Amino acid sequence: MPGVMLKSLAKCYGDVGALDGLSLEVKPGELLALLGPSGCGKTTTLRLVAGFLVPEAGEIWVGDRCLSSPTAVVPPERRRMAMIFQSYALWPHMTVAQNVAYGLRFKPGLVRLDRDARVREMLRVVQLAGYEMRYPGELSGGQQQRVAVARALVVEPEILLLDEPLSNLDANLREEMRFEIRRLHETFGITTLYVTHDQAEAMVISDRIAVLKAGRVAQVGPADDLYHRPRTRFVAEFIGRTNVIDGIATALDTVAHGALRLRVASGALQPGTRVTLSIRPHHVRLAAPADGGDGANTFPGTVRRAAFLGDTVDYEVGIAGSDVVIRAAAAPTPRFEVGAAVSLRIEPAACVPLGEDE
Amino acid sequence: MDRSIAVWVGATLALVVLIALPLGWLGWLSISGEHGATLAHYRDAFSDPALQKALWNTVVLAFWVGLVSVAIGAPLAWLTARTDVPGRGLIRGLVLASFVTPPFLGAFAWVMLAGPNAGILNTVWRSVTSAEAPLLNIFTMPGLVFVVSIYTFPYVYIMVANTLALIASDLEEAAAILGAGRLAVARTVTLPMVLPALASGFILAVLQALALFGSPAILALPAGFHTVTTQIWSLFQFPPKVEQAAAFSVPLLLATALLLDVQKRLLGRRGYAAVGGKGGQRRTIPLGRWRWPALAACLIVMSGAIFLPYGVLAKGAFSRAWAQPLSRDNFTLGNFAFTFFEYGSTRAAIVNTLELAVLTACIGAAMVALLSYVTNRRLVVGHQLVAFLVLAPVVVPGVVLAVGLFIAYTRPPFVLYGTLWILFLAYLTKEMPVGYAQADATFRAIPADLEEAGRVLGAGRLRILKEITAPLAKSGIIAAWCFIFIGVIRELSASILLFTPSTKVMSVVIFDLKEEGQFGAISVLGLVMLALTFATVALVQAALGRDVLGARR
Repeated sequence: MPGVMLKSLAKCYGDVGALDGLSLEVKPGELLALLGPSGCGKTTTLRLVAGFLVPEAGEIWVGDRCLSSPTAVVPPERRRMAMIFQSYALWPHMTVAQNVAYGLRFKPGLVRLDRDARVREMLRVVQLAGYEMRYPGELSGGQQQRVAVARALVVEPEILLLDEPLSNLDANLREEMRFEIRRLHETFGITTLYVTHDQAEAMVISDRIAVLKAGRVAQVGPADDLYHRPRTRFVAEFIGRTNVIDGIATALDTVAHGALRLRVASGALQPGTRVTLSIRPHHVRLAAPADGGDGANTFPGTVRRAAFLGDTVDYEVGIAGSDVVIRAAAAPTPRFEVGAAVSLRIEPAACVPLGEDE
Repeated sequence: MDRSIAVWVGATLALVVLIALPLGWLGWLSISGEHGATLAHYRDAFSDPALQKALWNTVVLAFWVGLVSVAIGAPLAWLTARTDVPGRGLIRGLVLASFVTPPFLGAFAWVMLAGPNAGILNTVWRSVTSAEAPLLNIFTMPGLVFVVSIYTFPYVYIMVANTLALIASDLEEAAAILGAGRLAVARTVTLPMVLPALASGFILAVLQALALFGSPAILALPAGFHTVTTQIWSLFQFPPKVEQAAAFSVPLLLATALLLDVQKRLLGRRGYAAVGGKGGQRRTIPLGRWRWPALAACLIVMSGAIFLPYGVLAKGAFSRAWAQPLSRDNFTLGNFAFTFFEYGSTRAAIVNTLELAVLTACIGAAMVALLSYVTNRRLVVGHQLVAFLVLAPVVVPGVVLAVGLFIAYTRPPFVLYGTLWILFLAYLTKEMPVGYAQADATFRAIPADLEEAGRVLGAGRLRILKEITAPLAKSGIIAAWCFIFIGVIRELSASILLFTPSTKVMSVVIFDLKEEGQFGAISVLGLVMLALTFATVALVQAALGRDVLGARR
């Protein structure tokens, strides 16, 4: 099972640069999500890997084969990959069985009987046994999705590429299919590149996530890492919600924003430099003023807005004597009304210093 | 290297030769003299008063045809697209019939209807009023404008009806709720949105009139005046003045190109008509007591285009003397016998026409399919140029194309004059844009990812083309085949310059029969031509699952 190496890929459309020196490694057997806003180059990356596009610079390696370079590109049909499209791209003039069997025609030494057996087995795996003779137009969106998955997996590709495969499904089905895709990945263990703009989807499905911004990798790592240790403001804001506070380091472990002083756990700041801190809303603790105590990073504040969301309450709290407004996600009890005075505490470990965006 | 590349490049090169050779020769011969390049031919052509007159006649004809076509086409489009006028399907069907009727057949029919001496309408008029002078004389400029317009207005109709179908009623209702009355809505919302389509329909009608050869040859020549196309034709009569004809063709070519460019710009801005069109309902406007008068008006127009001409052709086919009332004595099948068995060139012409139509349609459909695939999937460098070239013949009137082909293929390396092949090349070139437009729309509707899905799984380009693209594009390509076929069956303006006694086609024989005054035989051949055309139209409708005029029903 080979992995994929992307080395300094560059690609332009006319004057618009889509990729600008993108480098990335997908480890063997890993499911890596390419996550980013529209226009960040994630689909371009996928189509480069598939061989539909020719890079202007850089190389794509799978194992010890160089598949793409500006001078030579192995055509898609000889890459031993499979791809699942956003539109599913099921052929309307072929039955489910014909769609799924299509890729097997190009496997030498596979007799018809084996083919049929493998198609049947794969349809069973995606829970579509008995649908062989249907046409795609007669299936629901979720079933079409499963056919697309079966068609891609039945050829036992070395690399599997998915281009926002769940974006055409409704919310419930989408959640179900996330776990389904993860289950199939654990069953087959195929090296997989998964393009999405939905961070929750990326977090559920992938082993690692590469966050893309303007044609480059902003940060790559497991979901946990990106969430708790974002390196840039872009990543912090893209993965989950966060409070961002700009300030100046006054000591190795202290950041000042106006009169506000925030302790930072990392303790490796350079005094006098600008620092941006990210604080996740659910790391902010709220308490009645009397119960707040006076530990590090404890501030008096006033509730500006509150929205009940079921599991949590979403608060906006103005910190007294400062222009900073912090969003906090707190448990439904105790409840604080708008205008109530509260004590607000942020663990120093929850204040994550961010680097400059490139 | 992708093996399929040879196919794409081959199709592209064939296209370049097809278009560039005749037009290149045309341009070159128009400026070549014994001592190198010269403008003498242009000087000769444009200083000749007769040619100046022909030029002016063409301008007058084209302008009036444009206006009359708008006057007929736009109200018809509005009535059928937006109101509850009864029989909308029938009216649409009749417009379609007028669209596919060969204009020169209509012109013959109107000679039989409104010729000043024997024309049936004039005979009836004389017997009713006992007047001496004829009611109508079709051999006049107004007569010519009328006959051309009744077969040209469908271009305006199509543009306007399809645009009206895109304008959601809520755009109009938004104006109404803000206080605009019915007229104000029409003036401030509907009309401005339809205006580009109206103008572009006008231009298309003008272009038809510019390029037409048959109707002016039938109606203007007896009346003693020329248009540009008939003038070019007469320059080809013995002794042929090919260089002057070439010089005279070039302005027609440029005028057409210019007008088409204007039309494209107008339509390029049409996008706004469709904004928010999605999901918008189009409610019909009740006409109230005007419903039946509106239908009557539509039917009067269509009687000029369809009922009367078709009727007189049918009558002519089955009667001994076409101008006499149809009675038992006058009834005969002799015209059929004469046409098919006695008259020398008919059967050969029918065979030639069918052979050419099938051959052109097959090769043409294959070529436009390949070329539109090339441009849609951007398979060769310069695919924009391919799209330009394949559409370029639109700007070449049939007569001009024929001049170019005549020059190009009467000399080495390809001496094709006198064979059916030169007609084949003329038809292939002339019908290419229509077929391409159809094939292009077909491939546009097939998402590229259906093909890419197959490629990642291991299928090469050509295999994908055969197993995935072709089955999906089948009905669209059949439609392209039919459009080319219909176009070839009715072609006259290029054939009339390129035929030789052994390579006559149906339209040319009809033209010959006119010289001999054989109206019975003309009627018979006309009916055959109409039957072939309508059978093919039916095939298109079956293949596409909608009518040929294009808008949603």
